[in-house]
Amino acid sequence: MGEEKEGFEPKIVGFTCNWCTYAGADLAGTSRKKYPPNIRIIRMMCTARLDPVFLVKALLNGADGVFIGGCHPGECHYIKGNFYSRRRVAAMRTILKQFGMDDRVQLHWISASEGDKFATTMKQMAADIKQLGPNPMKDEVL
Amino acid sequence: MKGAELAYGELGDFFKGLLEKNVVDALILPYRVGTSVSYMLVRDKDRIVAPESVIFAPSFGVNAANIVKGWLIDEKVGIVAKPCEIRAAIEMIKLKQLNADSVLLIAVDCFGAYPNEVYAMHYAEIGDQVDAAKINELAGKGIPIRDACAICDNRLADVGDVVIARTNGDKVSVAGHSKMGEAALSAVGLELKDKDLERAAEKERIAAEAASNLEKLPIPDSQEALEAFLRDCIVCKNCRDVCPVCYCKECFFDQPIGNPTGGDLLNLAEARGAIAVPVNQLLYHLTRVYHVSTTCVACGACEDACPKDIPLTRFYPVLTRKVQELFKYVPGKDVAEPLPFTTYEEEELEECLR
Repeated sequence: MGEEKEGFEPKIVGFTCNWCTYAGADLAGTSRKKYPPNIRIIRMMCTARLDPVFLVKALLNGADGVFIGGCHPGECHYIKGNFYSRRRVAAMRTILKQFGMDDRVQLHWISASEGDKFATTMKQMAADIKQLGPNPMKDEVL
Repeated sequence: MKGAELAYGELGDFFKGLLEKNVVDALILPYRVGTSVSYMLVRDKDRIVAPESVIFAPSFGVNAANIVKGWLIDEKVGIVAKPCEIRAAIEMIKLKQLNADSVLLIAVDCFGAYPNEVYAMHYAEIGDQVDAAKINELAGKGIPIRDACAICDNRLADVGDVVIARTNGDKVSVAGHSKMGEAALSAVGLELKDKDLERAAEKERIAAEAASNLEKLPIPDSQEALEAFLRDCIVCKNCRDVCPVCYCKECFFDQPIGNPTGGDLLNLAEARGAIAVPVNQLLYHLTRVYHVSTTCVACGACEDACPKDIPLTRFYPVLTRKVQELFKYVPGKDVAEPLPFTTYEEEELEECLR
């Protein structure tokens, strides 16, 4: 991990749950919180909708980072979706860790009322990924 | 544990008894053709000939559990196989690919195995069965056991319904490991006595040996190394088809995501300038390893099946073991233990998420 790469703006794919993190992102916007525009949000009904193949595909397709945002454990709109998701993401990150790719995947719990937390998390994650530099996956590899 | 001691020569009558007394409707057990060993599904007891010469053969061709994938009928099948194969069958029961009441799982002691073609070629040196000393001797002659076996720490039979252990020179111990197993032994008329087949010291020795072998295994450890490791993959999906715990009727990879054709390929090349073909080696293996991450029994059938000789033991068993350690789950150990992805703790894993 070197210095922040000059002029490198990471592309971060974000998977956010409809009920918490997406609403949190919305609140960040309506409250005019500033955060770096690196994230491209994909809204899903629940983090449990996230098949870990999505993470792999995002990384293989050149995403510099993958953000996953859901309700705090115990506060899932569907009671326990985020508990399952937590196990899946932990397992996938364990696999990616072997190849040094796990640092590019982050899961955060951000509720609908935490617009502030969403903005600071985005700032932090953008900085983390800048530190890591661009995704080294070659263009031609899928 | 209750069981009986049998001479090697009495094993044939034991298996015949299982069929004769209708304990099982059929038996899957190894049989020999020339010098090579394969499995057969037997209905007629007279087709069982000298099983004692072949059930301990250190030869691995296919995971026997894969044969009964989707055995969702009431007829009961007995499977005589190595512990890894029995553990795969137990995972398949949990995955609802196998009726728990339709199988009698009979595990035999294993000391490590050779790929079946290697076994057939070197049968004269290897013989009907091996022990730890013989395996070392053969390794010295340039005939090593499979990598998957070298890193396996579950070689002794201690799973399933019945275990067949090689306890001393000319006798084997046949013992019930579940109620169903004990009932089966009683039904064929064995006189059962209390048996201790724990063999803790031997297990410890195997675990230490396996751990040191695992350390010696070169494992891809970077994105670049992974790309190089999988560069020759032709995405034939043999590793999936021979895998007992890879069971989806419709694999994600048989859908358009795995098979970009014609215009899809051209679009990908357009977007990236150039793409390596065949495509999706990394997507396929990284996703598949996740799919089997909790259930992989590390049998190494994937490596044996790879037509490009990619040493997949350095990928699947190694990575899945890390995930299994994360969930403190040992696949095939206990049929009552839920699969990790079907359950959760309210507070866990927070340190693994970011």
